[in-house]
Amino acid sequence: MAASDRADKVDMDKGEHLPHRRADGQPPHPSWLPRQRVGTTPQMIGRYPDYDVLAAAGTWDEATRKAVFARLEPPGPLRFFTAAEEPTLRAFCDVCTAQDVEPRVPVAESVDTKLADGKLDGFQYADMPDDRDTWRLVLAGLDETARDRAGTRFADCDLPAQGAIVGDLAAGNLSGGSWQQLNVARAWSVCMRAILSGFYSHPWAWNEIGFGGPAYPRGYMRTGPVSTLEPFEKPGATSEDAAVVVSAHPEEFDE
Amino acid sequence: MNRQTGRFRGLLKGSVGPVDNDSRYLLDVHSRQLPGEATMRHYDEDEQVDLVVVGAGAGGSVLAQRLARRGWRVVILEAGPFWHPDEDWVSDEAGSHGLYWTQKRIIGGADPIELGKNNSGRGVGGSMIHYAGYTPRFHPSDFETFTRDGVGADWPIRYEDLLGHYERVEAELPVAGQDWPWGYPHRYPFSPHPVSEQATTLWRGARKLGIQMRVGPVGIVNGTFGNRPHCIYRGYCLQGCKVNAKASPYVTHLPDALAHGVEIRAGCMAARVELDEAGRARGVVYFDEAGGPERLARARFVAVAGYSIETPRLLLGSTSARFPDGLCNDHDQVGRYVMVQGATQTAGRWPDEIRMYKAPPPEVSSEDLYETDESRGFARGFSIQTVSPLPIGWAEHVLADGHWGRAMREYMRDYNHWATVGVLNELLAHPDNRVTLAEETDPYGLPVARMDYTLTDNDKANMAYSTHVITDILRAGGAQDVLTIHRYAHLIGGARMGSSPEASVVDANQRAWAVPNLFLADGSVCPTQGSANPALTIMALASRLADRMADGTAMDEDPQARTGTTPARQPTG
Repeated sequence: MAASDRADKVDMDKGEHLPHRRADGQPPHPSWLPRQRVGTTPQMIGRYPDYDVLAAAGTWDEATRKAVFARLEPPGPLRFFTAAEEPTLRAFCDVCTAQDVEPRVPVAESVDTKLADGKLDGFQYADMPDDRDTWRLVLAGLDETARDRAGTRFADCDLPAQGAIVGDLAAGNLSGGSWQQLNVARAWSVCMRAILSGFYSHPWAWNEIGFGGPAYPRGYMRTGPVSTLEPFEKPGATSEDAAVVVSAHPEEFDE
Repeated sequence: MNRQTGRFRGLLKGSVGPVDNDSRYLLDVHSRQLPGEATMRHYDEDEQVDLVVVGAGAGGSVLAQRLARRGWRVVILEAGPFWHPDEDWVSDEAGSHGLYWTQKRIIGGADPIELGKNNSGRGVGGSMIHYAGYTPRFHPSDFETFTRDGVGADWPIRYEDLLGHYERVEAELPVAGQDWPWGYPHRYPFSPHPVSEQATTLWRGARKLGIQMRVGPVGIVNGTFGNRPHCIYRGYCLQGCKVNAKASPYVTHLPDALAHGVEIRAGCMAARVELDEAGRARGVVYFDEAGGPERLARARFVAVAGYSIETPRLLLGSTSARFPDGLCNDHDQVGRYVMVQGATQTAGRWPDEIRMYKAPPPEVSSEDLYETDESRGFARGFSIQTVSPLPIGWAEHVLADGHWGRAMREYMRDYNHWATVGVLNELLAHPDNRVTLAEETDPYGLPVARMDYTLTDNDKANMAYSTHVITDILRAGGAQDVLTIHRYAHLIGGARMGSSPEASVVDANQRAWAVPNLFLADGSVCPTQGSANPALTIMALASRLADRMADGTAMDEDPQARTGTTPARQPTG
């Protein structure tokens, strides 16, 4: 990573990391985030470095534990998507969820399972095909657009090029070829519904965001009105600069 | 119920239960299973019972429980599964997929409405298994919006016709909340729940704007209620309550129904209502497996309670020589005037950790802006309610504001700093917002439903105004950033009640104009929806219907009895 990619320090209390509050509308490079110290997060970054939701799994009910731990099993192999579609699928899921290095939440496998099992969401837009056909058309469309723009498949484009194509998909700005058979903006929502469900149902993602996780039969006792934590919850990292804190309060750090 | 007792119940918080429903005692303290399944009565397949009900949700369950107590022999057909919550339900968003009606439906119109987990349940207990738990009443004005405001339609009944049933159902759920100053002011049988960090944060902003909010009303036990325990504030109300604290027919009415001889045939998909030669309903034809033989549940009376999409679908699919366009559809009214509520949600960001996942999503609400205020430039209004999405819901919220990839991850990591408030806009009934049958068929060979929805200008003005209000609440409370998702919630209407067969499907007794022993017992009969979550009103309507079926007034052929207490003004244009 080039030094210029690294994020400057951000003040979380002021919300300086939030895209709406930044001049370019983009978040800082994730290098500002602390590394995870316990448990796993996607890409080992997060805001709760000392929190592992799985540490409390012993307090969950059996049915929930079974459902959540199934997501930690080795993923795959793909059953719905073909070997030819696989690289495009993986690249697309990675870009949509900003997963650029391991460890990754296996979003592609999660989408594949949902479609292979036919566990669809209960509605289909009148101007759209079945969700399963929509997925195949989107993957084909991504490759067609990538060939038009870069002469390669989507998976072989560099990250900025992939991001640009996905940005146009999100904005409904793709046309021609497979896209002609779709309402592009709605196709984006069909895909993201499955992708987000796959990503944020995974306990690694819960670690990243500090979510308390399943709470039955235990429940929550400390619900407010002041920010108090359950014993198993851990506070988020702060924006304090360790060097500044130490120099301001040397007496607390003297041996 | 004695109205006087109802008054005392409001004062003697939590200490007086309903006298005519033992569900809370029949539940097992140590198991979440619906008691009575193993010993449930089974009627012979060719036996004619008194009543067959389609749908074991809010309407069908209350109707069955009430009539079973009067000695009626009742069979409920339910398309979905017979839940065993200890094994079937999980404290997990994605793992709750099975709670929703996820069989295919087609959505169209200029503003298609997302269905599935958003508003459609499937299984014993219906959509109330996964509703948030808000149980407000309608306002008296909701029953006469056309007369008062020149929009929507009037009901053939008035608030007073439901008042006693509201009180009765509130005692059965039981509803917890502060004394309620809006609409028809009333008390609740249980005290308000403690208020979470996130609701406090939002309430502070509302106070600065002079918007009054109150705690509740929620159908969530605060204290204990028979064998139903206190809520444990785990936050998974929308994923099915494994605690038995949140009210649904599964815990509030079906235990008592089973104890009084009701049979629930789960996994049974109704195919059509069958008529005899005299034009009366003989019963309901159903499948107990896809591809299996047709079965007929015979009954003296049929009540359809499949909710706003499945009820019209069943009627439209019940064609015959007499009804070539669908049962009760002589005047092309079946499936029309289906409604949803605008349900925009806006989240605000604070420096402190708020952790909105702790405590039930429904906490504090306001009906200050519920009624028409001409200065706002649109008719009718909206309510304001706190909500609290879990991670997948939060991701959909962030996506809807336009963020994906790294930006989405950044907002997601900030989850614990956000508080979310939503609205429920009263969207107006419109004849072109309707349920029809699509060409595609489901695994049973039945045509799937298609739902078309298009917003009116009044709807758009209401939604835009309310979005400003909740955004102002966040800003007034000191929010540093705001994320908004425009969405819809709830279903209602689609086979409305009225005073004439030309403008409605059922009469003031929810009895079909065209078939003398057919009733609709769900939210599909509502001509308007107010800005209130519909569950309580659907139950109250079924409670009223049951009383009237039991004493025979619902079968009254007197034209005035069918027209209702106040003949409804219902434009059909």
